[in-house]
Amino acid sequence: MGYDPANPMVDRITDIGPPHFEQFFPPVVKKNYGKWLYHEITQPGVLMHKSETGDECWTVRVGAARLISIELIREMCDIADAHCDGYLRWTTRNNVEFMVDSKAKVQPLLDELASRGNKFPVGGTGAGVTNIVHTQGWVHCHTPATDASGVVKAVMDEIFDYFTSMTLPAQVRVALACCLNMCGAVHASDIAILGVHRKPPMIDHDAITGLCELPLAIASCPLGAVKPVKATNSKGEEVKSVKVNADRCMFCGNCYTMCPAMPLADPEGDGIAILVGGKVSNSRSMPKFSKLVIPFLPNTTPRWPETVAAVKNILEVYAKDARKYERVGEWAERIGWEKFFEKTGIPFTIKSVDDYRLAYDTWRTSTQFKFTSHIK
Amino acid sequence: MALSSDEIKAAMLAKAEKAPKPQLYVKDFYACDPDTKPRAIKNIANDLVKEGKLMFWSSGSTTMYALPSRIKNEETRDEAEENK
Amino acid sequence: MPKHETPLLDELEKGPWPSFVTDLKRQAETKPECWDILGQLELSFKDRITHWKHGGIVGVFGYGGGIVGRYSDSPKEFPGVAHFHTVRLNQPSSKFYGTKKLREICDLWEKYGSGMTNMHGSTGDLVLLGTTTPNLEPLFYDLTHDLNMDLGGSGSNLRTPACCLGKARCEWSCIDTQALCHHLTMHYQDEIHRPAFPYKFKFKMSGCPNDCVAAIARSDFAVIGTWRDDIRMDQDAVKGYINGDFPANGGSHAGRDWGKFNIKKEVLDLCPTNCMWMEGDELKIDNSECTRCMHCINVMPRALRPGADQGATICVGAKAPILDGAQFATMTIPFLKIDPETEFEAVIEVIEKIWDWWMEVGKNRERVGETIMRVGLPTFLKVMEVDIIPQHVREPRSNPYVFWQDEEVPGGFERDVIEFRKKHAQ
Repeated sequence: MGYDPANPMVDRITDIGPPHFEQFFPPVVKKNYGKWLYHEITQPGVLMHKSETGDECWTVRVGAARLISIELIREMCDIADAHCDGYLRWTTRNNVEFMVDSKAKVQPLLDELASRGNKFPVGGTGAGVTNIVHTQGWVHCHTPATDASGVVKAVMDEIFDYFTSMTLPAQVRVALACCLNMCGAVHASDIAILGVHRKPPMIDHDAITGLCELPLAIASCPLGAVKPVKATNSKGEEVKSVKVNADRCMFCGNCYTMCPAMPLADPEGDGIAILVGGKVSNSRSMPKFSKLVIPFLPNTTPRWPETVAAVKNILEVYAKDARKYERVGEWAERIGWEKFFEKTGIPFTIKSVDDYRLAYDTWRTSTQFKFTSHIK
Repeated sequence: MALSSDEIKAAMLAKAEKAPKPQLYVKDFYACDPDTKPRAIKNIANDLVKEGKLMFWSSGSTTMYALPSRIKNEETRDEAEENK
Repeated sequence: MPKHETPLLDELEKGPWPSFVTDLKRQAETKPECWDILGQLELSFKDRITHWKHGGIVGVFGYGGGIVGRYSDSPKEFPGVAHFHTVRLNQPSSKFYGTKKLREICDLWEKYGSGMTNMHGSTGDLVLLGTTTPNLEPLFYDLTHDLNMDLGGSGSNLRTPACCLGKARCEWSCIDTQALCHHLTMHYQDEIHRPAFPYKFKFKMSGCPNDCVAAIARSDFAVIGTWRDDIRMDQDAVKGYINGDFPANGGSHAGRDWGKFNIKKEVLDLCPTNCMWMEGDELKIDNSECTRCMHCINVMPRALRPGADQGATICVGAKAPILDGAQFATMTIPFLKIDPETEFEAVIEVIEKIWDWWMEVGKNRERVGETIMRVGLPTFLKVMEVDIIPQHVREPRSNPYVFWQDEEVPGGFERDVIEFRKKHAQ
């Protein structure tokens, strides 16, 4: 029958939830659920999981943009139909995994993937760089301070060899969030690329009355920098509006989220900050937050050369200097952050010294430090 | 003594009518009956949406409630601007 | 819809990584509105600023989430994206798909939307990117009737729960992450689809402390698999690693010559509690000292496995930095059996204890981690009715400002200053 706009409530179905996951398991996964013994990465991008039943699940991991078309998904389906009994999965980092139940089926699958140009790069396993998790950016978001897909493409092009190989001391998780809201939760990544604003919001006195609830806008500011005022709109009328105390603004954009008449995005003001050394895993050391090491890089479209170079530099210095198994943050802590700045050649600026809440935790309250070139 | 759900509904609608701002958080409705648990209040507010008497209003990250008569939506606003 | 010139975006068709620009152009052949995505994005690349406006009030009737409104600020130039709303589909737990279902989703999106998707959104949803308001109800009808699928969460709702792939293809998973994720998703359909809370609330489940879904960094309620008995060991396989028969770390480091595997350097010395040693060629572990960090198991997957008495650690209150700074989730319940037989009753009990408290005490737009920070961990732990144990803190407090309660002090707080003065002249 289909939807009848005259009777939208007829036969309405709601709250049925997602389909049960089990129906999408490849047979080898279904049969060996909970029976896996160990795994091995036999080459970059290829994993073998061994079950106690003796079965093997061979997985080929493929990088993909997060923004993909239904045409491309259909192409992935064709591959899965031809090689994988019609099943495939996505990882939490936007990679696609094709699974087969024997080693003999791996090479034909790899050949098929390779035959389709650069659409399906195989890799993202072990001690390398896997896919960058990211947000929407200029493709579909109203609050970004930078693009997402474009920056990710430019960075991945440059560090592509680390995706298809396993030559680093440990896995390096790169993430991008296009504003401080951090939909991409980059706050615990080895290398985080973060969109930042640097100009306080403008106030659109013509629109604010119709668009915003002033109390919500005022309450949204974590620093109390948004205050109610009487202002004059472009027609010369007095309107109830707000003002922003620029000295107290930390450019978080929370007010704009609540009030569209307070735009803060700006071509010169906006750009990228780089944070490093976060991790989520409990392996060896506890989870860590990423730390701000480069406060600002410009939005140089279309390929963000400054950001690309910064990420590559950190990766290369880390690759050369860190010990086996050491994550970026563990390396930086072992050598000391002062050495991190010296070795990477990243200028240390006052912007890396915390003056926000909970800041004291990051200040050095000890006489233990290293004499690096920073001490004149 | 907790109020009946009809009494709470009436109190919520009165509140949505009189509040200085059209959008209300679910918490704003708790005061309609302090003896009813927040989750029950939430369910009653959502019932009012099903009945068409309240509507959801979303900033994207936060969802609030409002009387439909007090809210202009983006598309009708566009049309209103074009008709000026 | 006219094709736009995209000289800046064309630069992103170069290079070895798959190009979303090339993909968009291909999709534009059958879905011409993709030209307007490209056109508007090209304009953003030129202007170095977004051209999307705030979301409006859009959704399907009776749901307060799952659709995020999006409008172009240049609709005359790019009519194909004038209204371009996001539809969040609740993904199947851990994102396995059959091609039949995926093709149905593609067909649905060919009919009602732009043809562009995110596989997947940050929270875990399968995101359909770009449709108009009039298409929402018909899309929802077909989605629920023909595809047997549903929308995910947004706004002040329970957000779509997400999990790692768990027992489906991982030897380390101590809990059935997918079963738990699916069960909670079904149990809380109302909370996912309609606003329920002061702000968003996220569930994430990881099967082991490697935490592949970043539950500890990203979820208000994190369920992370663990064990409380001894690491299972296969001494023959330990010898195999020492002899170089098996690659260390499951072959993760095969791309570079790190020298011969050295169990002392690579395992024993990196153990954060130093609870491992060799006796001859036997590996010994003092399991009572182990903090289950996973390093030794990661390095020697054939030789070591998590213990068999498995369950989960519950951590509460993670969030990204907005507004007071980032928070990891705080360890609240050290060990909880995760039992599908009881329909995860114990987990649900913990969740609802948090919700009942947070809905009452939490301020608007305050994540539960911020509420805990505001009222203090002791207050939260009392609400949770858990035993307060040293494991709840990294170290004891270093200030002496304890909030003693009236009933904790003999005689209470009420005293008679006149009686006091009889013995202590002013």
